[in-house]
Amino acid sequence: MARSLKKGFFVDPGLWKRVDKAQATDDRKPIKTWSRRSQITPEFVGLNFEVHNGKGFMPVHVTENMVGHRLGEFAPTRQFKGHQPHTKR
Amino acid sequence: MPRILGVDIPANKKIPFSLRYIYGIGPTVSDKLVRMAGIDPDRRAHTLTEEELNKISELVVAEGHLVEGDLRREIAGNLKRLQAIQCYRGIRHRRGLPVRGQRTKCNARTRKGKRKTVGVQKKS
Repeated sequence: MARSLKKGFFVDPGLWKRVDKAQATDDRKPIKTWSRRSQITPEFVGLNFEVHNGKGFMPVHVTENMVGHRLGEFAPTRQFKGHQPHTKR
Repeated sequence: MPRILGVDIPANKKIPFSLRYIYGIGPTVSDKLVRMAGIDPDRRAHTLTEEELNKISELVVAEGHLVEGDLRREIAGNLKRLQAIQCYRGIRHRRGLPVRGQRTKCNARTRKGKRKTVGVQKKS
């Protein structure tokens, strides 16, 4: 179910402030954030983020066609290392 | 066999049903097209005149329905975009696993395909 359009994008207020500032000062230092639920708005494009995945921070560089996705989509929370190899006895 | 929209050749079924053989046209669109073209839905596809066939293909374009190659290309493009931006959905598509959060411990066979055995054989 998609989010109602009349509500607009959701971005955590704190993160929004930092994005605003980064864009104003042209600061490309990665922004550390836990706010995986924040949607990527056009203002995010070109910025670097470090999105928490529950364990550490995943670097995410935002490009134009990521707009509309959420930050968390780019920082997987699970890591599949593969099954144990099939051993011959 | 009548040809419509390039490659497609529906059979000698009733028109609303034979139109559904076109990729991108299902029951709803098919019924709508027949209604809009003012064709009796009980007629068989082979009884359609050239004119009526043209009318249907014009309607498909006019109503903005993507069909056949264009539709396939659009879908492939969407998948490609998801995979290119490395998002969760893209990764799931690439690995051939369910995309929308379904369980994968069991089932998920549509996406995963035929069962392949993995795992350890215990040493005895």
